[in-house]
Amino acid sequence: MMRRTIPLIITFISGILLVFALFIPHKPFGNLEERFNDWYIIVSGFTMILGMDSLLLHHWNKIRRRQADWFHSAALIVAFAVTLVWGFYSGIKVGNPFDPKSTFLQYFYTYVFVPLQATMFSLLAFFIASAAYRAFRARTLNATLLLVAAVVVMLGRVPKGSGASVVLFGIALVALAVGLVLHGRSLVDLRGQLLAYGGAALSILAIIPIAKYFPTYLPAVADWIMNIPQLAAKRGIFIGIALGGIAMSLRIILGIERTYLK
Amino acid sequence: MNLWDRLATIDRRIIYLLVALGVIIPIVAKLSFRVTPLREVRQAYEEIEKLPPGSVVLFSIDYDAASMPELQPMLVAMLDHCFRKNLKVLMMGHWPLGLPLGQIALEQVAQKYHKKYGVDYAFLGFRPGVAAVMINLGKDLRQVFNTDYRGTPVDSLPVLRNVHNYNDIAILVGLEAGATGDAWVQFAQARYNQKIILGATAVVAPDLYPYLQAGQIVGLIGGLRGAADYEQLVQVPGPAFLGMPAQTIIHILVVVLIILGNLGYFARRQGGRR
Repeated sequence: MMRRTIPLIITFISGILLVFALFIPHKPFGNLEERFNDWYIIVSGFTMILGMDSLLLHHWNKIRRRQADWFHSAALIVAFAVTLVWGFYSGIKVGNPFDPKSTFLQYFYTYVFVPLQATMFSLLAFFIASAAYRAFRARTLNATLLLVAAVVVMLGRVPKGSGASVVLFGIALVALAVGLVLHGRSLVDLRGQLLAYGGAALSILAIIPIAKYFPTYLPAVADWIMNIPQLAAKRGIFIGIALGGIAMSLRIILGIERTYLK
Repeated sequence: MNLWDRLATIDRRIIYLLVALGVIIPIVAKLSFRVTPLREVRQAYEEIEKLPPGSVVLFSIDYDAASMPELQPMLVAMLDHCFRKNLKVLMMGHWPLGLPLGQIALEQVAQKYHKKYGVDYAFLGFRPGVAAVMINLGKDLRQVFNTDYRGTPVDSLPVLRNVHNYNDIAILVGLEAGATGDAWVQFAQARYNQKIILGATAVVAPDLYPYLQAGQIVGLIGGLRGAADYEQLVQVPGPAFLGMPAQTIIHILVVVLIILGNLGYFARRQGGRR
């Protein structure tokens, strides 16, 4: 019982005091907030040690049990040890491992860590291009709206994008017209055929306003998408997150939510 | 396999090859496109521009090497602007693995303008506890950073002698690859009314637009395009400016791929109905 009750009491008192401190930033609450923040900074420092312990233990167990891909874990532990020793050595020699004169910063950080991390992230460019090609299909109205908005923003926010957009939208509209004509030819009823051919004609005609207005207005349309519909959705999401955060905080302070004790 | 089938099933290796060529060729050929700075970037530039010499600008390095191509040029261009205007620069960060990137840029640009460490700029380093650090900076900077990254007491650094909390910092520049920018707004701006400019990766920037529209941040520099805009405004063309043609070509390539994919998809669907 004590193992649960004491943490719940600490959580309740800390939470309530910090709420008071926000609304009454004077003594004794204002000072209390500073003190709590100092403790928080110290505890945060120790969580790094906890993280290291957890990481090393997890990978050490993988090696010990010879689990699948255990050699990756071995590489991680070796890299960890090299980094730690080199960092300490540079720190002792220069005073700080991140001093521009330290060998740790000059060699390991600049020529190993930075290129590796940058390379990992750079791979996204390839995956995003491939994923956009496979996933961005105008299957429904919502998907089509998303697709058109994405294309407008992508082209509207890069230099020369407006010029390129005329060509690209032109090609897309011609392709649409060809598709509609082929579709119309396969239909038997006159109404369907008229609709398909009319759509094809409209697609071709739409090229004229696009060629005239896109070079001037595409960046403005991209800005409008970013500043109005995008912002409205984001704000809604943010308000939802904030309300959820308040509800969850209250549940934790009042001891209703106890999963963090497990 | 007919043409439509081919369009709908382009091998991913071909796509990867096109992306690689689209990035490499413009960079090797040193193409350059002129950019028209976005309004939010111009706002950021003007906020720095109107600061009187000697004002203190605090940079927060909240990114690491993964976001370096977008945020490092932004940092270099902004530091160039600050030092050129004889502003005092302080640097700290919440992402310990990215801090050396900030330090490298700081030393490099400070050297260009013959600025002295401790007098014109200082590097404070990292303290854990993101929100707590931000709140305590508003109360007393020395409570969070009593020494710089070298262990020198901050009171012995002339640049920090009169800096005690946010009241003494003219503008805070947060360079963000994650959610730390939200925390800066919530704690430094909302509680202490600190003027903030945020620079962010293109993925993060849309999340920060509500703050810009609400006036909670006074400028927003988003992605490589934002960095290129800032480089153009300070007239120091750098990696972002040179990266613009590659980005443009890749955007166009992605749009072309989307169009081809959709053509193939609809043609196949049509074929299926028949």
